[in-house]
Amino acid sequence: MHTKEKTSSVVIRLVIAVIVAIYVLFPFFLLLINSGKVTADITANPVSFAGASFSQLLENIKAVINDPNFLFWSSFGSSALITVISLVLLSLFGAMAAWVICRNKTVWSTVIYFTFIASMIIPFQVVMLPLISTFRDVGKFIGIPMLQSVPGIVFAYLGFGGAMTVFILTGFIKGVPFDLEEAASIDGCSPEQTFFQIIFPLLTPVITTVTILNGMWIWNDYLLPSMMLGQNGKVMTIPIAIQKFVGSYVKSWDRILPAALLAIIPMIIIFLIAQKQIMEGMIEGAVKG
Amino acid sequence: MKKKLMSVLLAGTMVLSLAACGETAADTTTPSDNTEAQTETQSADTTETAAATSEVAGTQEAVRLLNGKPEINDQMQALAAKYLEETGNVLTVETIGGDTNASDELKKMYQADNMPDIFVIEANQAANWDGMLADLSGEEWTNKTGFELVDSTMGTIGFPYTVEATALGYNADILAKAGIDPSTLTSPDAWKAACETLDSKKDELGITAVFGWCAEPTNLGWSSGTHVFGQYLDAGLKADDTTYIDLLNDGGKIDEARMKKFAEFIGMMNQYSDPALLVDGTYDNQVAGFKEGKYVFITQGNWCVTSPADVNFECGFAPYAFEDGINTIIAGPPSYWVAYSNGNVEGAKAFFNWCAGDSAQNILVNDAGLVSPFDDCQYEAVNPFYKSMNSYITAGNYSGWHTMLKKDGLQNETCNVFADYAKGKLDADGFVSTMAQVISAYYAQ
Amino acid sequence: MSTFSIGRKASSFICLIAGIVLTIVGLGLSIAGTGNVFRGAMFVCGILLFFIGLYLFPTLKHHRSIINFIFLFPLLFAFLVTVIIPLFLGIGYSFTDWDGIRLKSFVGFSNYARMFKQPAFLWSTLLTFLFVVFNMILVNLVAFLLALLCTSKIKGLGFFRAAYFLPNLIGGIVLGYIWQFIFSNVVTKFSGTYSMLSDTNTAFIAIIIVYIWQYAGYIMLIYITGLNTIPGDVLEASAIDGANKVQTLFNIKLPMIAPTITICTFLTLTSAFKQFDVNLALTNGKGSVQFLGNYIANGTEMLALNIYTTAVINNDYALGQAKAVLFFIILAAVSIIQVRISNKKEVEL
Repeated sequence: MHTKEKTSSVVIRLVIAVIVAIYVLFPFFLLLINSGKVTADITANPVSFAGASFSQLLENIKAVINDPNFLFWSSFGSSALITVISLVLLSLFGAMAAWVICRNKTVWSTVIYFTFIASMIIPFQVVMLPLISTFRDVGKFIGIPMLQSVPGIVFAYLGFGGAMTVFILTGFIKGVPFDLEEAASIDGCSPEQTFFQIIFPLLTPVITTVTILNGMWIWNDYLLPSMMLGQNGKVMTIPIAIQKFVGSYVKSWDRILPAALLAIIPMIIIFLIAQKQIMEGMIEGAVKG
Repeated sequence: MKKKLMSVLLAGTMVLSLAACGETAADTTTPSDNTEAQTETQSADTTETAAATSEVAGTQEAVRLLNGKPEINDQMQALAAKYLEETGNVLTVETIGGDTNASDELKKMYQADNMPDIFVIEANQAANWDGMLADLSGEEWTNKTGFELVDSTMGTIGFPYTVEATALGYNADILAKAGIDPSTLTSPDAWKAACETLDSKKDELGITAVFGWCAEPTNLGWSSGTHVFGQYLDAGLKADDTTYIDLLNDGGKIDEARMKKFAEFIGMMNQYSDPALLVDGTYDNQVAGFKEGKYVFITQGNWCVTSPADVNFECGFAPYAFEDGINTIIAGPPSYWVAYSNGNVEGAKAFFNWCAGDSAQNILVNDAGLVSPFDDCQYEAVNPFYKSMNSYITAGNYSGWHTMLKKDGLQNETCNVFADYAKGKLDADGFVSTMAQVISAYYAQ
Repeated sequence: MSTFSIGRKASSFICLIAGIVLTIVGLGLSIAGTGNVFRGAMFVCGILLFFIGLYLFPTLKHHRSIINFIFLFPLLFAFLVTVIIPLFLGIGYSFTDWDGIRLKSFVGFSNYARMFKQPAFLWSTLLTFLFVVFNMILVNLVAFLLALLCTSKIKGLGFFRAAYFLPNLIGGIVLGYIWQFIFSNVVTKFSGTYSMLSDTNTAFIAIIIVYIWQYAGYIMLIYITGLNTIPGDVLEASAIDGANKVQTLFNIKLPMIAPTITICTFLTLTSAFKQFDVNLALTNGKGSVQFLGNYIANGTEMLALNIYTTAVINNDYALGQAKAVLFFIILAAVSIIQVRISNKKEVEL
């Protein structure tokens, strides 16, 4: 890159980049300004600032939060609870399983590993219907409701997220020198001590990756919760609440848009804080997955 | 030593995390029956308030009702509060909003073993629930109405909670200003003349278009595919005349001559409708436009304007007179509340009897703007359409909601034909032939 | 460490026995159908206790195996119950008249035969393939061009990368509704006609636009990573050799990022194939189309949504399941072929 590039080509590229950025960000802009308008202004001038005000935005958000059909805090809470518990358990159990698979060169661990990998191709649609009936029947039989319950859906996320998590973690653990563990074992460490004291802390970067990948999936997931929790279950997640909220009778954009805004704000905030990790995590997940 | 301590700690945290996960499971476990669990947890808060506000001890277990009318959700909650206050019984109202209509969601709830005790069905959906609906015959309220839903195998299954009418709702003030007498709109020619007059006086009358008619299929498919389509089936027929629905249900046959006249009438509506509304409008825009006086006619029913405060003009219904002499509107209960036979049937029956009574009717009629199906109801409906609706009913000029008896799901197919017609992709003949093709294909499935 | 305290032995055996007893009692109560409210809690506690007992089990020789078992069990169990068992059940159900709850009889291949007689399903399959092809090409093209843009020398690279990636954070349902608003309320203001979503052809284009918007930024990131792995001296050498930009692109850059291209095609392929949320939120499958002499009402319904509608909305669980199995087979076949082809290419290069 010693040759001095022509300024004109740099400018052209910059202009293109800006245009694309405007196109990409425009929906967010529209979402934001229209969230702060009354319906009449939204339909009349969706693209201009006319009628948009911060106080109206707060008003609309307040109306959404208080709407009995949306149950914002409850669905936000459920979404957060489900996501966090699933992530913690997936990372912990995933790391445990990946470590065993990696450090045990038996036929069994190989079989399990390849089953996990092969299962990544299974689309959710093929298991979704029997899953619901199995969960319903098991729940009824044993007396633990597996549908419309947080533990049930967390359990399902463990099952569906397990394969990818184990796959990525195994790839990483393979690269951790075995000497470390041998040394620990000579020092009198039991296997579980070795794992929790030596291996687990080393996994931090890859656990971050896995958490990002799983977190984005679980937070945004619609089909699995809609099947397992239903639209009128006790537990609602944010995507379900939105879907329920968008009425055929009452397509009031002054409610739907602020609701959508509320749904994406947490993601945007997390992205702004951990932008680098998220982008790297997504790349890593893709390259490994 | 230190290492050992650490390992114990770590093992401890591991076990704890396992236990924590188990605990959450155990928490929700306690009530054995799933449905019971639902009602118990949901009514927990309300029962507390019950102790404070109600002097009457409840005799029935809590009842869950699935309401399919999002627009009256608030009034339904008020109804539940009133029920609790008067009887001490708990009624939990859940409302289906959103694109999923109640019947789709109910199927999912059934799969998930999460059935409410009372839910809403349209007449043709009774077959989906064969053997699962409680027989309500002999209940006190059945003596006070002729509108209950009777199924040949399951008996009296449906509680009518409202009577609704649909035809072409009009703004009487604009018609008067334009010098059109709505009672003359009983032939295609009269309609054509009226449309031309109104269209030519648009500016003078301050209207955007003659019709507020929307054929958008994704969200409003129920309107075109069920309600407007129902006019083909029933317009001009007596309430118990099932000629065209029988023909339809006989493998999806249609009367092409009648359909052609219907198509021409719809074509006129397409021509004089607001183009901004016709193809991709929403229910909200449609109703708002009518309320603001932008449209003279609206293709909805009495549910679209529930309170006299919503409009500053007189409302009425005119028939879809696509043949000479058609002078009926469609009136009756479009949907019913039914009791799930594996649910709390006794509680549901108790609620129905109470609901047919005075205090409940007061809320449903005066607050929710519904029209009571019960003979002894003392409240004159406040609905702005009521006067017109009642004049048709008392004169016997009303047809049935037989459109609710067509094969379930047909509206999702036919609504697209209306949309294509509205877009101009089909002409009247194309509409008829496509309709015939779509319907017979759907029935053949 | 060689001996075990009495306390540990005792607690191990107590936990094991109590665990087994509780589990059996919990199960027994369930089998007996008592409806006892504590049976679920008993069952869960029983299993937990059993595992604690197992963990404390006084053995040195088998301790490692026990730990392996305990470590593997939670994830594997969840995986078996949620993926493997339903998968086999599902394949089995597709040969029956299952209605989601009851199963009356075995019907052989009649569900499979039935779905090929549905013009709507055939259309849906065709549409899905079209969508996949369009997306694979367009997303990769756009993403690659953006990646070239974002690896060249312009100001604010970090900002542009982050901005392009941003849509990928949003779930399909939410962005579907945002775009529905844009198509029906904003675009119509400029186009002056009815919404793009009302017409099958334009609605299909709309879905593709939304999909590119959501996905291209992500794929771009992967291409950037790929482009950055190309050693600088290779590029310099080509520049010295007098290669122009286009030549560098086709002769150096593209071949060197072949593995990245594989990854990206694979990603776009599978995700486009499984597309559901955006389809549901944008059009819910509506739109009419003439196909094989039939009028199809769900002209924008892709396979994933078709399966869902068949089972959940039309209540035909067995048919929906059969379609899902076919969906699985297609997806598996396409993925395998795709990986094969890509591998072969990489070797050749």
